[in-house]
Amino acid sequence: MFSFVKKPQSAALAFLIAGAVWFVVGALYGMVSAIHLVAPEFFSNIPFLVFGRERPIHVNTMLYGFTGTMLTGCGLYYLPALLRTRLYSEPLAWLSFLFWNLTVASGPLGFSFAYTQGREYNEYIWIADISLILAVVLLIYNLIMTIVQRTEQQLYVSVWYFVASFLWTAGNYPISNVVWHPSTGAMPGLIDSIFLWFWGHNLPGLLITPLATGAAYFVIPRITRTPLNSHTLSLAGFWFLVALYTHIGGHHVLQSPIPNWLKTVSVVDSIAMVVPVSIVVLNLWMTARQEGRRVWGDPAGRLVMGGIVWYLITCIQGPLQSLPYLQRVTHFNNWTVGHAHIAMLGFGGYIALGAMWHILPLVSGREIYSQRLVSLQFGLITFGLTAFFLVLTTAGLIQGSAWNNGETVYRVLPEIAPFMISRAASGIFILTGSLIGLYNLYLTLRQGRELQPVELLRAEDAS
Amino acid sequence: MKMTPALLIIGALLVFWASAFIIVGIPALTMKETPSEIWRPMTAEEEAGHKLYVRNGCSYCHSLFIRINDWDIGAERIAKSGDYVGQEPAILGSERTGPDLSQEGGEHPDDWHLAHFVNPRFTSPISLMPSWEFLGPVEIRQLTAYVQALGLKAADARVARQQHWKAPAVAAYAGGLDANVEWLHSQVPEVWRRMPNPYPATEASLQRGKRIYQEFCINCHGPVGDGKGPAFRYMNPPPLNFTTLRRHLVENRYIGGIFYYQIMNGITGTGMPYFKKHLESEKIWDLANYLGVSFVGYTDANIEPRGIDASYEEPWQNRYPQPGQEGAVTGK
Repeated sequence: MFSFVKKPQSAALAFLIAGAVWFVVGALYGMVSAIHLVAPEFFSNIPFLVFGRERPIHVNTMLYGFTGTMLTGCGLYYLPALLRTRLYSEPLAWLSFLFWNLTVASGPLGFSFAYTQGREYNEYIWIADISLILAVVLLIYNLIMTIVQRTEQQLYVSVWYFVASFLWTAGNYPISNVVWHPSTGAMPGLIDSIFLWFWGHNLPGLLITPLATGAAYFVIPRITRTPLNSHTLSLAGFWFLVALYTHIGGHHVLQSPIPNWLKTVSVVDSIAMVVPVSIVVLNLWMTARQEGRRVWGDPAGRLVMGGIVWYLITCIQGPLQSLPYLQRVTHFNNWTVGHAHIAMLGFGGYIALGAMWHILPLVSGREIYSQRLVSLQFGLITFGLTAFFLVLTTAGLIQGSAWNNGETVYRVLPEIAPFMISRAASGIFILTGSLIGLYNLYLTLRQGRELQPVELLRAEDAS
Repeated sequence: MKMTPALLIIGALLVFWASAFIIVGIPALTMKETPSEIWRPMTAEEEAGHKLYVRNGCSYCHSLFIRINDWDIGAERIAKSGDYVGQEPAILGSERTGPDLSQEGGEHPDDWHLAHFVNPRFTSPISLMPSWEFLGPVEIRQLTAYVQALGLKAADARVARQQHWKAPAVAAYAGGLDANVEWLHSQVPEVWRRMPNPYPATEASLQRGKRIYQEFCINCHGPVGDGKGPAFRYMNPPPLNFTTLRRHLVENRYIGGIFYYQIMNGITGTGMPYFKKHLESEKIWDLANYLGVSFVGYTDANIEPRGIDASYEEPWQNRYPQPGQEGAVTGK
């Protein structure tokens, strides 16, 4: 009955499909939240659809469910492929799939009824935390054993990032979720904010970033059919990432009374983040140099390269907004919401989608049902997200400047109303993009032309 | 440098855990929990409310710390680390779609909070907050207890002031419409009572006043100013019926200064909040003109005593006669 769990690459495919499904779920919750910021009486007084409960469902489902799940699926394919071996244990990967998705499902199923720990990005209740940690530990074991049985001697940069993202998460997640306090998942007193934002920042930084970087390092050279620009740069980017990123969570509570030395460290290292980001972007850019037509001509490559562009924008904006004086205006308002969207959907999400479309034929043995639908998805999400970024950044500047000049939060609400309406409108494009992706994925698996073994071999060898 | 499995795994873990020790370990070892001067432990009911606050995601729209550059409610007290002792979690928040709540305790009386939780637009017409009526009376009471404790000892002082003034306000209301207005007027300092509205009640001014009325006042005082907005049935004492003011003008002439003072400062103990943080001078005077013209049928705009007209003012004749002198022309 459960023989499917032994089929090669079945777990990778399962992660990809789950990611596409969670994208739709997350986008639906995002849409309702956006509507509630325009019209709070829309679906009023329905317990499982109040803003305070639907927002964390949206955020967590997008982070863990869409981006995290889909990129993990990609890695489960490319890690063994790059090591010229099979995944150590397919059933074990399915077990990880089960635990991981149970945690993600505890968002919509639990938060809707106030079963949450309520700390941003650490909301999952204790038992769901344990489930996620189990999934990660099993993945680590599985990946290390795959490395052990490899036939390719060299470890390609994507392998480092993929393995490391789980090694770091296995330490990060339990610390920040304070798993030794099961009932609250929190430390008492102000110090909790330091624990909280340790993961709050490392979730994008040491889980999603390495997952997405690994996938980009895999996809771009394959599409351009050129070798990686520089091994040294990849090394520098990798080590700088972990050395700097871990220190900067404090910039989320920069204006709260945490110790000054922590603020200083977080600001200095936030600025220093420009270094690893530039290295990664430069390295990939140089790899694709002279091959732009191949990258932008391939819908999957376009999504991945689009993700790199968003990465660059995000990581120029991020260090800037950690500057204390600037943060007086940019903190607590929609500026940050805009930043979070280009980081998670722009950088993580684009690369997840691009890598997924690139890898899907390799794990399913079927040609993508429609490349035009992939292009359409790219177009819809790009329009929606660009509008999001511009609208939310502008709304944030209006709020922040007004507050800083003495206007009250309540007084400024009418000023952001037109922006909240535009945001909800652009959300429709992103929701449609997610639906088209799921539709295209479904038709690929049901109706996509089956690739001949020769074609598959040629595709796999492209690296 | 060649990446081997050992270097990858051991190196990645070493750098990570070293950083984790610096960023989380050292603060855990060195940060001391010393209560600040406003700190006190929370009661069981306040704790229950805190849990509701956390579990229902209030922190996605409300922060719990005041920064040095803040002006809104609570801005009198910039957060100190000792304010959060023992709170688990001390949920600071990352967004202000609604105001910071770290000093919310005692800003309003309990009945205001009840109306506000049932439907935030009852008290704050343009609020984006969801209705929490579905939580039921017990949980709304717990949430109210928690919100009233925000600010701890400083909140207790404010709550005590609310309670102190609630009794005479309720008694005045029970004394009948006229006694109520007399009591309300007696709380306004003498110098404000004979102060006419210095702003001419032009069409533009009345339009601005109307907009402010709709954004701030309408759901308590009602669209026709009779005090029967949707919040009416939650408030004790209920919102003022403006139409009763007509027979209580000071010396049958003055009302502007009283309006201004009460809007600016609020009436502590009742649901009437102070608006001086939201509205600056001209907006309050425009609102006072709108209230007078729309609900009293009279405004004291521009009558004596008055000084030199402001430079922008066009010649303006007060067309609103004093009560009992209909047809007579007052002012200049």
